[in-house]
Amino acid sequence: MTNLVYLVPLFPLIGFLINGLGWRKIPKAAGGIIGSVAILASFAVSLGIFFEVKSTGASTVVHLFDFIQSGTLYIPFSFQVDALSSLFLLIITGIGFLIHVYSTSYMHEDEGMVKYFAYLNLFVFSMLLLVLGANYLIMFIGWEGVGLCSYLLIGFWFKNRDYTNAAKKAFVMNRIGDLGFLVGMLLILFNYGTLSYQEFFGQLNGGQVQLSANMYNWIAICLFIGAMGKSAQIPLYTWLPDAMAGPTPVSALIHAATMVTAGIYMIARSSALYNLAPAALNLVAIIGLATAILAASIAIRQYDIKKVLAYSTVSQLGFMFLALGVGAYTTAVFHVMTHAFFKALLFLGSGSVIHAMGGEQDIRKMGGLNKHMKITGITFLIGCLAISGIPGFSGFFSKDEILASVYAHSPVMYYMALGAALMTAFYMFRLYFLTFTGSFRGTEEQHHHLHESPAAITIPLIVLAILSVVGGYVGLPPVISEHHTLNTYLGSVLSNFNVHHLEHSTEWILMGLSTGLVIAMIIVARVATKNPKFAENTGLAKVLENKWYVDELYDAVIVRPLGVLADVLDRFAEKMGVDGVVNGTGRLVRWSSDRVRLLQTGQVGFYIFVMVIGIAVIFALRFFGLNY
Amino acid sequence: MGIYEISFWFLTVMALSCALGVILSRNPVNSVLFLIATFFAISGHYILLNAQFLAIVNIIVYAGAIMVLFLFVIMLMNLNADTEPQKNRLVQIAGAISGGTLLLVILAALRTSTITSLDQTSTDIGLIKNLGKTLFTQFVLPFEISSVLFLSAMIGAVVIGKKEQTV
Amino acid sequence: MKAIIAATVLGVILMFAGLFVKEKKSVASLAVFLLFVLLGVNIWDLVTTAPNETLSFFNNMLRVDRYALWFNTLMTGCTLLYALLVSKEIQRVGSHVAEYFALICFILCGVYMLSTYNNVLILFIGIEILSIPQYILAGSDKRNLKSSEASLKYFLMGAFSTGILLMGITLLYGATGTFNIIQYTFLQSDMLSPMALAGILFLMVAFAFKVSAAPMHMWTPDVYDGAPTPFTAFMATIVKASAFVAFMRLFSVSFGAISSDWMMVLAIITAATLFVGNITAVFQQSVKRMLAYSSIAQAGFMLFAVLAVNATAWQGMMIYAVAYSVATIGMFAVLMKMKDYTYDGFNGLAKKDPMLAAFTTVFLLSLAGIPLTGGFMAKYFVLLAAVEQGKMMWLVIFALFMAAVSAYYYFRVIMAMYFKQGNAELNTEVSATDRFLLAITVLLVIVLGAAPNLILNI
Repeated sequence: MTNLVYLVPLFPLIGFLINGLGWRKIPKAAGGIIGSVAILASFAVSLGIFFEVKSTGASTVVHLFDFIQSGTLYIPFSFQVDALSSLFLLIITGIGFLIHVYSTSYMHEDEGMVKYFAYLNLFVFSMLLLVLGANYLIMFIGWEGVGLCSYLLIGFWFKNRDYTNAAKKAFVMNRIGDLGFLVGMLLILFNYGTLSYQEFFGQLNGGQVQLSANMYNWIAICLFIGAMGKSAQIPLYTWLPDAMAGPTPVSALIHAATMVTAGIYMIARSSALYNLAPAALNLVAIIGLATAILAASIAIRQYDIKKVLAYSTVSQLGFMFLALGVGAYTTAVFHVMTHAFFKALLFLGSGSVIHAMGGEQDIRKMGGLNKHMKITGITFLIGCLAISGIPGFSGFFSKDEILASVYAHSPVMYYMALGAALMTAFYMFRLYFLTFTGSFRGTEEQHHHLHESPAAITIPLIVLAILSVVGGYVGLPPVISEHHTLNTYLGSVLSNFNVHHLEHSTEWILMGLSTGLVIAMIIVARVATKNPKFAENTGLAKVLENKWYVDELYDAVIVRPLGVLADVLDRFAEKMGVDGVVNGTGRLVRWSSDRVRLLQTGQVGFYIFVMVIGIAVIFALRFFGLNY
Repeated sequence: MGIYEISFWFLTVMALSCALGVILSRNPVNSVLFLIATFFAISGHYILLNAQFLAIVNIIVYAGAIMVLFLFVIMLMNLNADTEPQKNRLVQIAGAISGGTLLLVILAALRTSTITSLDQTSTDIGLIKNLGKTLFTQFVLPFEISSVLFLSAMIGAVVIGKKEQTV
Repeated sequence: MKAIIAATVLGVILMFAGLFVKEKKSVASLAVFLLFVLLGVNIWDLVTTAPNETLSFFNNMLRVDRYALWFNTLMTGCTLLYALLVSKEIQRVGSHVAEYFALICFILCGVYMLSTYNNVLILFIGIEILSIPQYILAGSDKRNLKSSEASLKYFLMGAFSTGILLMGITLLYGATGTFNIIQYTFLQSDMLSPMALAGILFLMVAFAFKVSAAPMHMWTPDVYDGAPTPFTAFMATIVKASAFVAFMRLFSVSFGAISSDWMMVLAIITAATLFVGNITAVFQQSVKRMLAYSSIAQAGFMLFAVLAVNATAWQGMMIYAVAYSVATIGMFAVLMKMKDYTYDGFNGLAKKDPMLAAFTTVFLLSLAGIPLTGGFMAKYFVLLAAVEQGKMMWLVIFALFMAAVSAYYYFRVIMAMYFKQGNAELNTEVSATDRFLLAITVLLVIVLGAAPNLILNI
């Protein structure tokens, strides 16, 4: 079965080619079926591969063809099939398939539907390359490919200028991250002469090439900068909320379940390197924690249903990086998996709501939707329970595992992470209550229009809801069961580093503490949204236009003390720090471009003058100055 | 200082000052005449190097044919000092400065170099017989392939010079 | 060697054809046919030479190795592709179609000389054969004042750089007493005379002019912008690649051993080229002018191959030459179909002609160096060569940053095509043949990116 691994990316590629070349001719329904079937086929193959890897535990490198062969450098185009990549295969193709099915209904009114499926298939293809590649170069190819597809899909409704700007922003921020990735890659190549995982990790573990600890840190940090861009971490996170401009299924697939977890995959894959780079690992943990807290606090005061979910994604990604940073690699992968289930569910549910509301995304205009859309309401509730970490749902197991590892690492970090987790529970249930309970606050016309979505939308919701419940049972905490299915499965590739196990009593206490506080938070959310009044937020509409300012922290009773801090953050951290750096670079380029352009006067005499001065400078440099 | 050195320095001074005259004189006709004088000086150098053939060819081709052509063009177009476009003083200063800088830097760079005298035995290479032999044995390829260069230059003259038919 | 003769003879045949064949279209077809023949001759040269064989001709004036033959073949192939794509536009430039094609044949003769020269005299004549037809082609559109201006400017500045080249050759001859580039390898770092060093620097400057590296790049935007677009496409691709191979041949073969003596200077030239090319391209309003600056920026990357002086660098140069040429020829071929050369002229092209827009996107992605296109492999290889050489990590990182900047101006065209409202007007109807040829070009770009080994392992 592993020999057939090339089929997995091949099917989406074929789907892309068919839909992409014939998008003007192919009828919409056919385009949807072609796209979905392609993913279903690769899902089937992935399943086969998964079970084979599960039974043998082998990790194999499947060689396809020689990609680059030059002198001492040899980079084959080969795929790495092992526990880690096969798990990601399942997530990508499985959830990908559900989202394709969902899209056939969600997009059926759009004239560019076939083009949409072409892009979506291309995305799946690139994502599969990213996780399957047996060396960093192939990963990088997939990495750029998913970035490109994300750009195309965010800007899919390109008639809206804001949307295209969001697409451009996402692309530029990703490119900044890519720069780090490339530098890291070149450093590896320079020091080790190979990009293949097997050889690189073999040399790392074997210690043939001893580098200074600093070098390990630099390589690891460079790679992490790449991960920051792709996985939306401070300071490169601001593109993700804006990326919600794309169609909702795209947000579910790319900006929640798969692409944004590429950074986690990359670091988990490179765990052998990170184990040697403690400083870099610490940085990962700190950035992850800070992102988790910042994004969760922003999500509290968002009114756009998709923005809440977007910030929630950023925050959850922060949790994953936190787990990586404390060395709990398998835990991070575990959370990637459960998060993929419940976040895809939540996004698709929000899509169903938006569909029913006729494109309305503002939760202030919703309310009481439970009466009209039962299935969406119940599945959405399951998603909320899962992400909040209510015992019995998948999110509980993974989040609890993260928190336990963090506690073992540093109690201070644990309390901060717990705070972020509580905020998660608050904003998710605030969202749920405002949307699905109470009375309807929209227009009469919208009220009439309310309806449950068709089966193509509800069935994926139900499947994902089931997964969101049972998905956690592959990783039971040690206090319940000694047998951790996922860790055993991943054990052949990935092992946690420096993670101490807690005593059972401590773990019980922590679990009880977090569960109790989460339930308390849900009650607070219930009370806070009982009689929602939105009038007091007059200044807010304006702020919401500039959604990526942290301004939203002010106002509410619970967060009022944080308001000042938020203001400070907004003024200094965001505007001058993040914005300043990102926009400033752009402005610098434009400014210098404007200056340099003026040198081009069109006069030959001046050109020759510059040349002669240039020659003089070159001579002066060489004869009276620089030399190697 | 023998006659050889005296003529060398005389010709050098003449070549350089006439070359300066080419670019400094305001009247184009004067420029061309200075250029012809420069060519004569260079031919003189060839003779000093025992390359009579090159000296004669230089005079016939450059001073004779090409420069006369230049003069014709200038006279036909009736160029003289008055019609010369006003040169920007800034450009002149810039030219002087950049040229001066380059000269200075190169002088400074080459000031320490010693000139190794080359093989003295083959000084009669410039004689027509030896030159012909070398050109058609060792350097036959560059010699022959220059024809492509001239051919394309000729095409250029035709393509650029011919009046474009109205399409 | 056969190819040099063939290129000359075919050029002469074309000149005569201009006399007897009056129909422009037939002349163009004949030219394409003759280029096919030329490609055949190149392949003949290639297959009759054993892989490790090095032949020398005419008292070591030419030294023909496998790399050079392969380069010539690929460049001839690119020229053929170019001729097929733009022959219609060439017919529209002026009435001397036969002469234009003859000049292109002569330029190819220069290309072959520059990839095989073993003597700086051949280098000099080769560069002149490469340049003089270009001056003429740049000024071939006589109804357009900009074209004449471009020609004159190019000629004046080209003459200046020729002077510098000769100065360099002379100084080197003075220091070593030879024109043979193999004998220059006896130059040694610890006893390098100032005269030889000055000669090397002059040669470097002259080459920098030919490949449009800063600060000798100033002619490029004006000439590329002013020249008729079909000829700009040729000058910016095949001619430039060939000048680069000549540059590399001299500096790797002859001066490779003393690379520490000139590397720093060239590294600074590279940095300046990358900076000027990329930064200035950002502000352009015309796509044609943007491509002129982009060609400067790409030259900055190719300079890495010259800098690195190792085996990977040779491979990098090969793939860069081909990938860059193919993508740029494709991009220019699309540009020639447009009525308006500004960015706004591309607005809404995706709606009007989605196929053309998709092709353009692939070309631009390749120029920007996005993976799975030839451009990525090219950038990857030249940077890899520099990394392997190990002395210039700072420059590599700077280049990567500049590559990120370049994404901005290439993506502006894509944005205009896909995300902006507008009515992109085409100059001419894009025929089925054009589409087919463009599709082949796109395919080449992707094949180069997916399997660079095809042209590297020869």
